[in-house]
Amino acid sequence: MDNQSIPLVRREITGKPSGNRSKFFKQRYLESPLMVDIEYIRHLTAAYRQTDGMETLERRATCHARALANLTPVIHAQDTLAGNKTRFIRGAIPYANYAAEPFLKEMRKEEQDAQSKHAEQGSGGGIGTARAVAEEQGLRLVSGKFLISSSDYDEFREICEYWEEKSFQAQGDRLWKTHFEGADFIRDGWKIGLYTAPHEPCPEGRLILDYETALNKGYDTIISETEARIKAFRPGQSSGHSPLRFWKAALTVLKGALQFAKNYASEATRMAGREKDPARKAELREIAETCLRVPAEPPRNFREAIQSFWFTYLLGHIEGSHLGYSPGRLDMVLRPWYENDPTMTLGQAIPLFEELFVKMTQIEYIASLSWQGLGHGNLYQNLILGGSDENGNPASSEVSMAILHAQINVQMTQPTLSVWWDDRLEPNFLMKAAECVKTGVGYPAFFNQSTYLRHEMATSGLPAELIRKHCAIGGCTEPTLQGMAYGIVQAGFINHGKLIDLVVNGGVDPETGIRMFEARRLNSYEEIRQYYLDLMNIAVRNWQRYWNWAMIAHRETVPLIFCSVFVNDCLGRGKCMDDGGAVLNHSVTTLSSGLVNVTNSLAVVRRLCFDEKVCTPGELFEAVRNNWQDHDALRRKALDIPHWGNDDDSVDEIFLDLFNEYCHCVRAERNYLGEPYDPSMLAISTPVPFGRVCGAFPDVRLKGEPLADGVTSPFPGTDTQGPTAVIRSSSKVDHTRIRGGLLNLKFHPTALKGETGSKNLLALIKTYFESPGFQVQFNVVDSRMLRDAQEHPENYRDLVVRVAGFSAYWVEMSKALQDQVIWRTEHNL
Amino acid sequence: MQGIIFDIQPYAVHDGPGIRTLVFIKGCPLRCAWCCNPESQHPLPQLRYRVARCTGCRACLSRCTRQVLTWNGQEIVRNFAICLSCEEKSCVEGCSYGALATAGRVMNADEVVEIVARDIAFYRNSDGGVTFSGGEPLVQSDFLYEMLRLCRERGIHTAVETCGSLPEEAFRKILPVTDLFLYDLKVIDDSLHRKYTGHGSRRILRNLAFLAREGATITVRVPLIHGITDTEDNLSAIVDVMHRNGLQRIMPEPGHSLGKSKYAEFGIRDPMPHQPDCPIDSYERALALFDRAGLVIETAW
Repeated sequence: MDNQSIPLVRREITGKPSGNRSKFFKQRYLESPLMVDIEYIRHLTAAYRQTDGMETLERRATCHARALANLTPVIHAQDTLAGNKTRFIRGAIPYANYAAEPFLKEMRKEEQDAQSKHAEQGSGGGIGTARAVAEEQGLRLVSGKFLISSSDYDEFREICEYWEEKSFQAQGDRLWKTHFEGADFIRDGWKIGLYTAPHEPCPEGRLILDYETALNKGYDTIISETEARIKAFRPGQSSGHSPLRFWKAALTVLKGALQFAKNYASEATRMAGREKDPARKAELREIAETCLRVPAEPPRNFREAIQSFWFTYLLGHIEGSHLGYSPGRLDMVLRPWYENDPTMTLGQAIPLFEELFVKMTQIEYIASLSWQGLGHGNLYQNLILGGSDENGNPASSEVSMAILHAQINVQMTQPTLSVWWDDRLEPNFLMKAAECVKTGVGYPAFFNQSTYLRHEMATSGLPAELIRKHCAIGGCTEPTLQGMAYGIVQAGFINHGKLIDLVVNGGVDPETGIRMFEARRLNSYEEIRQYYLDLMNIAVRNWQRYWNWAMIAHRETVPLIFCSVFVNDCLGRGKCMDDGGAVLNHSVTTLSSGLVNVTNSLAVVRRLCFDEKVCTPGELFEAVRNNWQDHDALRRKALDIPHWGNDDDSVDEIFLDLFNEYCHCVRAERNYLGEPYDPSMLAISTPVPFGRVCGAFPDVRLKGEPLADGVTSPFPGTDTQGPTAVIRSSSKVDHTRIRGGLLNLKFHPTALKGETGSKNLLALIKTYFESPGFQVQFNVVDSRMLRDAQEHPENYRDLVVRVAGFSAYWVEMSKALQDQVIWRTEHNL
Repeated sequence: MQGIIFDIQPYAVHDGPGIRTLVFIKGCPLRCAWCCNPESQHPLPQLRYRVARCTGCRACLSRCTRQVLTWNGQEIVRNFAICLSCEEKSCVEGCSYGALATAGRVMNADEVVEIVARDIAFYRNSDGGVTFSGGEPLVQSDFLYEMLRLCRERGIHTAVETCGSLPEEAFRKILPVTDLFLYDLKVIDDSLHRKYTGHGSRRILRNLAFLAREGATITVRVPLIHGITDTEDNLSAIVDVMHRNGLQRIMPEPGHSLGKSKYAEFGIRDPMPHQPDCPIDSYERALALFDRAGLVIETAW
């Protein structure tokens, strides 16, 4: 429908902060530049320099604890929650201990790796502010967008030089480059864009700590329990491994963590002493008192519970270079504290959450330039509401409502909200969730709990009650068990689009000319299909094995001790997560992107070359190699063939076949914890950089265009039968076989208008989840508004849209990513 | 049983309750000056030419079996009458750019219902169903009846959008298998109605009364065409008609000019090329008037 004459549709639901204080917090965030804070890495490195020869766990714990104790506690104006990862509003810690090479490369102005060339960054918002300030004040930029003073820059360079050979990445690199027979394949794979670049600067993720225990017991109790374990320990009782090391390391970090909190108490007291405004003085005194109590002891009320949660959350976040570290079922965790606090009301809880969510959004991270282009600064802090308790009863509460209200009001990009779907959830909760979707902020995404239940029971054999209670989303869309699962350290993604390039070009990458695989005669559809599958197998297998080698270095360099304390059953077993202390170690996934394009391409090959015999495979591949130029008639025929997302069995069965093969392939290899790799698929914003390195495809995609996003989202422009058909296609995929899934649907606001519009949205989700679908997310936006936002970003500073498993600020997105979001098919009426 | 359908739209949410599929039947007895689906008026399949997609390759010229298509240096030139009578329309297949297309194709009743039934789970979960529209669906009343009957058999809620300007016989036939009527009232005054649509209003009002007497579930739809249907006189007259017939539910539809480009694309003369969009205040005045009259307003279902 031609929509030239529709005026821009105003958003049906707009939010505003509940009060002046929240408004102030949000505004302050939007106006702050991005900063590098080297304080943590400075103290950590200094401690490492003094502890040569110490055993690994002890050293890690000692150095980290020392750094924690020395961090400057900063309480910003009007804050009522204490604790920040850095001293700045928007600050990032550069974790040189994870990887120093990317920073050094930048500093040495060396040639960026091929994928950094393809990476794109946004240039507005805090990124723009940092660049403007840098120019003005002659400061320097790290990773293209973070501000750093000259003296810090020089000091940081020295720190990086210390870690250059010692970092997780460096040690991992030495391992796989020396021992892995497929090392050349990996290197070539990076060159051609078959794999995402290594993101060792920020590989930790999918980790959710046991906040329930942290709150219920308090650190003092955990410390005394651990001391008791040590006292009771007798050597010779367990075979080989000694839990003493881990327990002692645990004590060290817990004490460092307590010092971190006490420092905030001191700072608050100091500030209170100097504060003239009596109201603020009283607030600061209250902060001081709270920080003396938590997280050492259990909280006495809801406010203390939030502060205690925030401390534990933050402390875990500081320890690792995280991407996907998440709060999990926070509504369920905080519920008893809310319900047992007679002074707390919904109206008071909402501003607390608004402040918490601004603080969560203020956490930044620095990665290599190529990874910036993929994650777009997003930290994937996933908070999942609803679901059911261990008995299967629906678990939404007033706390869930408060959280929804808070994000409708402030619409921060973090945490990204999700909902575990259960038919029996309260209608007013579900309608509120639909309302939040209609703000256009891009969350909540909806997840099918019963699908994950079946996946986890089949994968790890854990009981249903446990899974129901602990299930949560770590990061974008990967389900895991809160407080008891290994936090996945992620290798990155495999680009199936590049496999299409290789099939079409006889095993040679068309861009670089690198040969990845031997050529083959392809005379039948089966031969073409098999060629793709064989390439896929090699690509997956090499990726898994390379990473198994690299991960050996993790335990030697960056074991997460504090985090392990709050992951069951590390304390019980006396082992950190790297050593298998967690209950669930099956959560390590292999991630892929681009299967829809492969499906569509094979469908076209089969129909045109073999069913209708319109052309030979050679002729089709020739046309594709020429980017379809001078082959308009053939391209039209290819376009007319049913593509994925239209509920057409002839093409959908190809997806199912490839999906099946992929799952088999992934599971056939064990991960570095000894369990089979778990297949998953994800895209985040890889469709853009992955597409950029690929030539045209038989499915009519042109050279350089983005791939289809998500997992089962159709390729833009090829879903012609509306959202119900897209869902029907996606419903055929048995998501119980993978740890994940993502379906992105975009709606024009008029399609969801009013109470009925919300009900229809919920009906859509309910219908989808009657199948083994797993996830669905919505972008509710008028594409004309987005085009206006491209022209006039100054009017859209706080516009947030859904990208993939995350939302992002429009003005900080690269133009390529902005275009992709616009381009995604709108279900317009 | 066959008929001519020109579109089937899934996830329709403004033409009846819940999630629906909208089936567009070709042909209409009226020729409303503001029609936004001009391709719906003629009962036979028609050729559509979108010049924006045309690259001037002229592959269609050699495909034409009636030697009718020519190229005038800038675009393809058709012959409306001959192209209309051409069944094969081979030129369409020859176009690699989607510039030439056909609106309307022959379909079987059960073929249509098979397509509609694919979304049955969505209807169930949202209290949705199927809505037949067009054009005027009752123009092919036997075909319509058969499709309604088959949908009913499958437990699908049925709705019909109608202009009302047909013999009562047609309504009598489909009444038993129709759950909801979306009945258009445009201009009450008979001669004004004739001026703008080609038909008078009397038969339309009689059929409405018939349906109301028979206890049909009816929502009246009023296209708000600025200066023509949105006058206070006309709106009050509509209210009177509704009160007289004991009807309560009304859905005002602000007029728009979204379909204007289609006139040229189908080679049809646009009788109202400068149709203004319905201004917001006019829409709000209409809502207020209906509200004061005690009517229940459906803005979106």
